[in-house]
Parts: sequence; structure tokens; C-alpha cells
Amino acid sequence: MKKKRQRAAYTTHGIFPGNKDGWGKEKLPYPEGVGYITTRWDLCIGCGACEIACSMAHHGVIHRELSRIRIYRYLIPVPKSVQSICTQCAQKERACQKACPQDPPVIYFDDVLLRMAVDEGRCLGADCGLCRDACPAEIPRFYPPEHDFAMVCDLCETDGQRRPRCVEICPTQALEFMAPKFPQHLERIHPDEKAALLAKRLYPLPQDRTIRLPDEIWGGK
Amino acid sequence: MGSKTFQLLEVDLTTQKIQRVDVTEDMRKFLGGRSFGAKILWDRVPANADPLSRENVLYMGIGPITGLLGSVTNISAKSPLTMLRGQSNMNGHFGNELIYAGYNAGILVTGQSHAPVYLYIKDDQAEIRDAAHLTGKSGLETQQMLTKELKAETDDQNFRFVSIGPAGENLVRNADVCHDFYHHAARLGMGTVMGSKKLKAIAVRGTQSPAYAYPDKVFESIKKLLHAGRLYIAENRRWGHTVSMARRYYNTTEGIKNKQLGWDAICDLFNPVHLEQQYKLWGDSCHGCFVGCKVPYMRREPPLGPCAGELRHDNAGGWSANAMIAGYELQTYLCAYVDYLGLDSEDVSGVVTWMMECYEKGLITQEDLDGIDLAWGNLEAICALLKKIAYREGIGNILADGLKFAPGKIGKGTEKYAMTGKGVAITSYEPRGSSKDALNLAATSVGELHGGRGSPERVMYDSMTSCSFWRRTIREIFGSTADWGITMLNAACGWNLTMEDWKKLELRGATMERCFSIREGYVPQRDDMLPDRFFEERITNKYGESKVLNREEFLEERKKLYRAYGLRDDGIPSTDLLEDLGLEFTIPVLQLILKN
Repeated sequence: MKKKRQRAAYTTHGIFPGNKDGWGKEKLPYPEGVGYITTRWDLCIGCGACEIACSMAHHGVIHRELSRIRIYRYLIPVPKSVQSICTQCAQKERACQKACPQDPPVIYFDDVLLRMAVDEGRCLGADCGLCRDACPAEIPRFYPPEHDFAMVCDLCETDGQRRPRCVEICPTQALEFMAPKFPQHLERIHPDEKAALLAKRLYPLPQDRTIRLPDEIWGGK
Repeated sequence: MGSKTFQLLEVDLTTQKIQRVDVTEDMRKFLGGRSFGAKILWDRVPANADPLSRENVLYMGIGPITGLLGSVTNISAKSPLTMLRGQSNMNGHFGNELIYAGYNAGILVTGQSHAPVYLYIKDDQAEIRDAAHLTGKSGLETQQMLTKELKAETDDQNFRFVSIGPAGENLVRNADVCHDFYHHAARLGMGTVMGSKKLKAIAVRGTQSPAYAYPDKVFESIKKLLHAGRLYIAENRRWGHTVSMARRYYNTTEGIKNKQLGWDAICDLFNPVHLEQQYKLWGDSCHGCFVGCKVPYMRREPPLGPCAGELRHDNAGGWSANAMIAGYELQTYLCAYVDYLGLDSEDVSGVVTWMMECYEKGLITQEDLDGIDLAWGNLEAICALLKKIAYREGIGNILADGLKFAPGKIGKGTEKYAMTGKGVAITSYEPRGSSKDALNLAATSVGELHGGRGSPERVMYDSMTSCSFWRRTIREIFGSTADWGITMLNAACGWNLTMEDWKKLELRGATMERCFSIREGYVPQRDDMLPDRFFEERITNKYGESKVLNREEFLEERKKLYRAYGLRDDGIPSTDLLEDLGLEFTIPVLQLILKN
């Protein structure tokens, strides 16, 4: 009896529990050509599922520091999480590729696969880090203890199949895999700036306190 | 793959010594979190020690699967509020950060510092640092200041903190530990113990591998829960956990007017839809949990605004209709103020509503209260009294000692209106509406905590550690907590736990903490009791049904519950049980009690 009721609720949400791949079906259709993962900061609840899925897909371990997508958690002063992931910039804006000291660049846009790629063997690692410094969002990541080369989002592409695991696992549809629809200048920003923008929703709340003290409201006694 | 090792960070504030200890064997026996905390208390805290002295310890407990379904940190210390075993849970991201820092058995703080300090932890680097500039700041201000400082120093803004507010510094007995502004390990005075150690905050950042034994199996289990838990997600993401309050008022299971009434029109002002549509900002979740049941609110309009916070059953239930607060307009301010002061909202609401009833009955006068007109629902008066409590001024100095000590000091017949058991305020729950709630409240060795905290199953959630809000959904999807727990623990640690091991772990944790409380003077038959009001005064719900608890039935049910927990009829573990669970070291200490 109970199970039947559950099924009805699932259906109204557009999800089909019988289908293993049903998770994520309610999201935008995946693009054929150039595509990137767009982040909806307002929907991010900061659970970290994307980080777990990403590190599992790329390295077979659960390890946040090896994830291509990262969640930053702020107190603005209400806790808010925002995502940070490569937006596969258009050629003119691709600062990382231009900053790479190697020739040809280690980090580059692959014209066949239509996504960013990294030639891991030639990367100079975290000590160089010029690509990270050039990127306005500091996206390329290094994890010197185990993987000392630039890590950026490769859209989970294997054999021409692109299945971004973070998009598929995100429980709030805060990540979408889509074709660029408009200039990305608001997606390429640093998570600090994203949080600062969201903080404007909280005007006029001060940054370090969440209330006016009773003395300010009723006068000191 | 070999099984996992567990590292504990041990910090002695007296000698300023920090060391890393391997506790793999203890963790296998006690799992971590709450169970391991009970063992540490037994070993490290001398019998009848003063909780606010340097003899007490503070254990920030985490377990093998912290961060995989919520990231619960269970804090253990001898409670200054009840003088028994103290423990309190908080969720958020702190526990997970500790795992990434490599201290997967938590932090043990011993001794006492002579000047205010904070603890800085980044991976292998742990330091005790001066915190003089943070003194007097609220929990949130402390975290904001430290975030800025540490970002300037390390170029890393992803530190996570626990901190205490003014109440903790002033040793108010029900002070809380604050994390990320609305996660609080509030119950049983854990913030007070932190304050007594002059430990203002702990900052943690980790970048090491959590090294789960079989990550693919862990991930499978997470995904299964994620897919199947959608229904639960939908409901709780929308309203958060204030949703239970409205339902509870209708079921007569939520306290009204310090438990004097079964219904009042004011209850209808607490409808979660109102909060959602008018004040909700967004959803927020703890690490590894996909629900996002934290629903922060913000109100803009003056005079009370701007203010922001989060309302849950825990922190709002004790106020609301229990203090006759007229709706969310006032409640949103009140809870934010309690958090600012660093008090346990649930416990201090019990103290304030007790005073309100005494004031109404004329046992306490306006003069006794230093001129505060503590009428029901008077927000300004409540805030004035809270400030006195947090800073221990005037009458606040007595009330700050909580419901175990304050009623005796105030006297004048006020004692019987204190809704308490073992010194903990019974606030959110109304036991007369549900005998199950009544039992769950009373029959714990840790004080009258809500939500059946005494049951071995809950002890397991707090020990592994994972969020127990999922327990119903886990039972539906995996059959039982044990089935899910065994899978997760084996996958994460590379162990070969069986159902038999699980049952022992479950009972061992629950019995261990009972033994500690018994050693500190807890007598189950005497203390596992509710105030007389619940057995003597009838209340009527909205539809005219009258309710009261029957004492004989209650005692009979309590006996059954003890048996279900594997205990004797008087709530004391038998010698056989202790030997069976490998807790024989408790027998010589408890000899006298066990014999009777």
C-alpha cells in the first residue's frame, strides 16, 4: 500500500523509479557540439555529491581534492554554497591556454573532442601554476601529492560519449550540461564573486551579524 | 585492501602538547562518535569530577562513515548541566573536514588553558593559537573573523569552524557549540565545557585522502539511497524540519504554554507554508546528504529586521506556542538572538518558560526579575532575560545554572513548574500526546533529549556517524539500519562485520554510556521519570479529546523498554551483559550498584 503511494509521488516529479537511468532525466537535453556545464548557484545546497561523483569517475576514489568540480562554502553570513567548474571558454577568452609556458600549450581546447584537454605528461605542475593564475576563476587544479598536473573538466568524455557525472548526480538540478547560449562572463567569475553577488540578496543584512541587537530596537535598559 | 587505521588528535591545553594517537583497536570496538566518546569519558574523567574543571575532557567525535550521509560530529564531555554523561550532535561540514585532515577518529581536548586560545588544524599541522581578540564575540562573528584572518595567511577560504559565543565564555550551563552559524551542538552544555577550557574555536582544513577501502561499494550505496530517497527529499527540502511542529500541535505532542495547555489558537500561526513563502531564502545541506533540510530564512522589515537564521523543531519548538510567541514574525528574531548569545535554544526556552509560568502565578515578581515584565509572549522581556542569562547578570546568574540547580536556588514553590528531567529542559515535546515520546524522553542515561536518543539504534547513528533523520527512509530502502550500516562500514573500512557484531556494537555503545552515567550518580528507576504535571494535569486538544499519562502504565512500559535495551528491570545492565560486551572493566567500579 505504502509503495503504491510513493510511486504516484515519483511520477508527479517526472522521475521513473523503475528506470535506473531515470535520475537526471528532468534536465536539459545534452548538446551535440560545443557544450559546457553551467552552474546555478542559487540551487546549490552544498552536499558535495558532484565532487564524489567526479573523483569516482576520474580516479576511482572518493576524494574531494581530486575532483574537477569544487564546492565553495561561504558565510554571507547565511551559509551558501557555490560551485566552481571549467566553463570551456570560447577561444578569445581562454586565458589558461595562452598562459601555458609550454609549446604547444599543455592545456588546450581540443578541436575534435570540443572540450578542454590536458597533456598530462608535459605539465610542469603546481609549481608553475600559470594557467590557474591566469584563469579568473582559478579553475585548473593541482594535487601535488598524487596528481601534479592541471585538472580541468573533460565532460566525462570516453570514446566520444559525454556523460558528465556531476550533472547526473546533482540532486537539485543545480548543474546543467548545455550549449553556450550567451556570453559566459558571469560564469567565469571566481566563487568569491559569485558569493558576493548572492550576498546582495540579503541586503541590508550586515556581514558579521544576523540580527540587530535588542538594545538597538528597544533602547538599552 | 587492508582495513583502515584511525588517528586521534590529542590536544592537552594545560601543557600545550599536541599528539597524534593511533586508536584503530578502540574504534573497531566502539566505532567512534558517541560510543567511543563514552569510553573516553570513562577512561579519562575521574569519578565525580567537576565538569568545569581541567579534569573534564572534550571529545569531538566522528566515525568511519562521517561525511557520506551527513557529516555529524558528536561532542562528548561530562555535562555541567546534568552532571552525567553529556553528548551533543551537530551536522554540517566540520566532521568531513576532520576526515580530510586525516584525523578520522576526531579530536580529544584535555586540560585547561589559562588564556583564551583557538585550535588551528591544517592537515598535519596543528597549533594552539592566541584568541584574545575573539573574546566576547558571538559564534558567527568569531568564524567570520577567523575566515578572513586565515584566508590572508594561507590563501585558503575553505576552513570550517566550531566556536562558542558569549554564553559559553561566561560558563552558562547550557551554552552551545556553533558551527557554520546554524549547526549547533547545543544540548547538555558542550559549549560550557569548551568555555571552561578557554577554547574559543577550532579551525580545520583538510586536503588528504579519506582512503575508503572500497570506494566503488560506498558510492553504489550512496547512489542507491539517493535514487530511492527522492520522496523524503521532496518534503524536507521544501520546509526543512519546522514542518513537524504544525503536525505535532494537532497531535498534542508539542508543548504549549510550558505544558499547561493541549491547544491554543496561537498554534495555527506556526504553519511552515508561511515561513516558506514569506521568509525562506534557499536550501542548504550537510556534507554527503542530498536533502538540504536546512532552510535559512531572512526577514527584512524593521523594527525586528533585518535578521536571518534557521528555524527547526529543535530550536523553535521550545519557544513558539510554548512561550506563547505570536507567530513567525517574532520567532524569527528570537531564535537568531539566542544563536547570537550562544545558548542552547531548547534548554534555555525551558528555563524562560518556567520563569514565565512562575511570574504568571505570582511566585516570582517583577522585582525578582530585575524589573522585567515577563508576560507570556513578551519578546522584549524574553530578550532582556536571555541577555541577563548569557552574561550572568542579576537573576540571570541563577538561571544560567539550568534546571538542575536553579529551581532549588529560587525556591518559593517554583520547583514543580520546572519541566525537566535530570536537569535538561523538556521543551519541544509534549509527552501526554504520545506514550512513546514520553518513554523516549525519560528512559535515557543522557538526560531528557528529544527523539529517542537513548535507543541503541540512535546511538549507532551517532557513532558511525550519520544523520539519523534518514532512519525511516533507510529502513524502507535497505530493510533495517543494520543492513545499511554493515554495508557502509564494511565498504568504508574493509571490515567483515556480521549482524552479530552489529548487535554487540549497538549494545556496547548504549551500555557504555549508561555505565558512565551510573558511575556519576544516575539511578535509572529514580531519574528516568517525567515531572508530575504529565501524570496529574489533563490537557485537551483542539477537538476536545482529553489526555494524560498513566503512571502505572508508564512504569510498566519503561520496564519493557529496559528489557528491549538488554538491561535489567531497574534499568541497570547485568554483570553478564557487561562481560558479554567486553565491558568487564566497569564491573569493579559499579560493583555496589550491580549487586543490588
